[in-house]
Formats: sequence, C-alpha cells, structure tokens
Amino acid sequence: MLHYLKIWLASVRYSLVRSMMFRGDFIMWSMVEFFWMGVNVAAIAVIYQHTDSIAGWSQFEMLLLVGTSMLIQRLLMGLFWSNLFEMGRNIRTGNFDFFLAQPGHPLFMVSTRKIDLDSLLNVTIALAIVLFSVKKLGISPSWADISVYVVFLGCGLVSSYAMVLLLASVSFWTIGTKGVESGYFTIYEFSRLPKQAFSGVANIIFVWILPAVVISNAPARALISGFSIPDTVWLLTSTFIWLSLGIAVFQAGLRRYSSASS
Amino acid sequence: MRLLIAKYRHVFNVGLQSNIVYRWNFAMRAAYSLIHLAFVFILWSAAYRGETTIGGFSLHQTLTYFISLLVLQFFIGAFNEDYEISEEIRSGLINQFLTKPINYFMYRFTIFVSARLVSGLLALVPLILALPLLSEYLTFPPELWRLTLGLPAAIMSALIQFTIAYIFGMLTFWFLEIQSFVILSMTIETLLGGQVFPLDLLPTVIYRISQFLPYYYQMYFPAAIFTGRIDYDSAVQGLGIQAFWVLALLGLANLLWRKGLEEHTAVGG
Repeated sequence: MLHYLKIWLASVRYSLVRSMMFRGDFIMWSMVEFFWMGVNVAAIAVIYQHTDSIAGWSQFEMLLLVGTSMLIQRLLMGLFWSNLFEMGRNIRTGNFDFFLAQPGHPLFMVSTRKIDLDSLLNVTIALAIVLFSVKKLGISPSWADISVYVVFLGCGLVSSYAMVLLLASVSFWTIGTKGVESGYFTIYEFSRLPKQAFSGVANIIFVWILPAVVISNAPARALISGFSIPDTVWLLTSTFIWLSLGIAVFQAGLRRYSSASS
Repeated sequence: MRLLIAKYRHVFNVGLQSNIVYRWNFAMRAAYSLIHLAFVFILWSAAYRGETTIGGFSLHQTLTYFISLLVLQFFIGAFNEDYEISEEIRSGLINQFLTKPINYFMYRFTIFVSARLVSGLLALVPLILALPLLSEYLTFPPELWRLTLGLPAAIMSALIQFTIAYIFGMLTFWFLEIQSFVILSMTIETLLGGQVFPLDLLPTVIYRISQFLPYYYQMYFPAAIFTGRIDYDSAVQGLGIQAFWVLALLGLANLLWRKGLEEHTAVGG
C-alpha cells in the first residue's frame, strides 16, 4: 500500500511541475471549467425565475444537486480523466507497453499517471456551490450526515471512474476512441436531474441501469433529508456492480492486448 | 464569374465526398444529440409540472424550440472547422493557397457548406425515425413571414458560425494551441446562443443586451423566428443587427488573415 502511495505521490509531483511549466495553459483550462460550471448555475437561476420547483426540488435543493454532480465530475477530471482518455490512444500506438513494465498493477499505473490541477482547483468552486446551497436551504447537517455525504461522493467517483474505464477499455477491441468522451458526457448530463423527474423507459435506463442519477441524487438527499437505507443500498450496489464490470472488461482487454508493431 | 463558380463547385464536390467518409461520425453525433434531447425533455417537462406556461410559452412550444435548435445545429453550426483551419496553418498546408488563384476563406466556406449539407441530411435520419415520438410535441406557428425571414436569418447564422470558427483558426498564427480559446468561447456561445434555455427567459435587461451580441444570432435568432418566440418587428430589427455582425466578423477575419500572413513563415521542403 505504501509502495502505491509513493508511486502516486511521484505522479503528483510530476503533474505539479508540468502545470507550472505551462502556466498559461493551466490558467486557461481552469477558466474553461469555471465557465462551464457557470453555465449550469445560470441555467438553474434562469429556470427558477419562472417556476418554483423542478420535480419537487426547490431552487437551492437543485443547486445542491448540480453542485454535487460537479464536485464528482471535477474529482474525476482531476484524478483520472486524462489518464483513461489517453489509455485508448496508447493501446493503439503500442505505448501501453510502458505501463505493463512499470512497478505496479497496470490498472493502477494507467489510472494515476498524472493529475489535472485545473480540475482539482475547480473542486473548491463546486464545494463552494454545495456549501452556499446548504446555507441557503437553512439546513444544518450533523457530522454523521456529512460523513455519509462524503462516502456517497466517493461511491459516485468510483462509479464514474468505472464507467469511463469501461468505455476506454473498449479500445482493446476497436480502433477509435472517440466515443469515450461523448459517451461519458452524454450520460453524465443526467446526473444534474432529480430522480423524481424520470418516468418510463428513461427511468429504467438513467435511474436504475446507468450510474448517472444515483451518484448525485443519493448524496444530495443525504444532506437535505438525512441518511436513508434505500438510497445507501441503491448506491452501494450500483457502485459495486459498475466497478466489477469496469475491472472485468479492462482485465479481459489486457489479456487480449498484443502490443502494436511500428 | 462562371469560372469562379466552376472553381468553387469543384471544391464543393471534393468537400461533399470527403465528408461522406465521416458519415458514421455524424450519425454518432446525431445519436448523442438525441440522447441530449431526452435530457432536455425530462428537465423541461419537470419544470412545467404545475405551470401551463413559462415565459409565455407552453411546454410543447419550448420543446419545439429545442428540436429546431438540434436540426439547425446540424445544418448551420460550426463543428470542428476551427481545428481544421488551425491544423492547416500549423502544418503549412495553407502555403499552397498562397500561390494559387483561390481565396482561402471562400475555399474553407465552400467545404463548410458541403459538410453541413451532409451532416444536416444525416441528422435528419434519426430524427425522422424518432418522429412518431416527437410529433405530438411539435407545434409551429402558421405565419408565412416566419419562413421568408427565418431562412435568411439561418443563412446569416451559418456565416456567423463559420466566421467565428475561422477567426479562432486564424489565432494559430500567434498561438501554438487554440483549444482552450475555442472551448472557453463555446461556453459563452452555449449560454448566450440559447442552447441551455431560450434566451427570452432571461431577465428583460440581460435579454435586451444579448440582442446586441453576435451569440444571439448564432442559433437562437433563426430558431426563435421559426418557432414563434419573437414577433415580426423584432425579427426585422434583428436581421439588421445580424447583417451588421456578419460584416463586422468578415472584416475581422480578413484583417486577421492579412496580419497573420505577415507573421507566417512558409518553410519549403
């Protein structure tokens, strides 16, 4: 375990140095993410000018939901995104070989090679949106509620990671990797909606099958109305299934991988 | 004149063929757009629960607006023209245009028109398939002027979309990487172009200001004319402002091209 922590810290140091080398880039990309979050907040502000509730959620409950969804997404972007995204490219070019020769499990090595500081910087903004919403809602969650929220966030991060890993692992079989980005963003968009807004087929797909709605709704509900056993079971089961699926597909791909000749 | 048309007709044909190669990319993009449309439907249906109108428009009118936006996007939106132009400058491919009697802007614009023809028609396929589901939501106003004013508005929107992408491409003369500029601008375009919510839902003062910005004319304006969100007077007035932006952006694009070429070094090989 200590061994992996040391490897990860080395990656963090490397990413930090790299970000400071390209300062202009770092500032621009931080702004890009900041602006995207602004778009989502503006959307809520405008819609609630004309209505009091979206599927029973008030403006600041909705803002809390969107803030939570952003928090998970920023963490995913900061810690894993570019690593998994590049995995597809590396498989195609054969550069994936290097990861197999590194001193750790290939899954760990490909997932943690670098971190994106701009996304991690924006985690603070997403957190500020969550705290602002909590204040506006006038709720004072107990330490237990906050702990549940943090654990649920972790589950959301793991589920999102698993989904991207699954999409990226498809590269072991196909040549193109374009679907990873659009696939993830299209599905993740639904995490900004309350569960109660869904019905029919959409309910089955986005609420029950894909890890989209559950990962933001469960933590947001935990802060608003406290710990709930059904939500916990729902989120833990979904996280377990998706992580297992992600790892299984990655491992199957790994067994199939035969490098690329130049 | 005939020679000029013949010249760009060839470019158009080449553009058509090379874009048909990417038909699966466009089809995939259209499929993702349909999933996004599901998101829009779920969000707005939930927002309309307990309200008959929002901003004076019914749920069906708002959904018609978003469906029209989707169709327009595939016919007039700029996709990755900025990156393609940037790549042509970086790799030195533009050098060949400097010595030939062909205008680079016209060349790229012709390719853009052929590409949108392909992507637009391809996007219609999944939409037509989904029509039995969508048709109950579609509600268009009957006035004929909406078509006669909406079409020129859509054409000018295409020009604005393309010229903005072209301008970002031109930045490559000065910057190594333009991706962050493009995405930063895309966030503003998404919001002020009316893709997140119809702009008329903005507070009045902000809506008035937005009418003087080019983003308003990128997508919202033609969609709003077609779907009945703006009246005749606003449409006529808007066409004037839109024409101004077309000219201003074309002027800027031309200026950047000329200044850029002064910076540009063509290395032979």
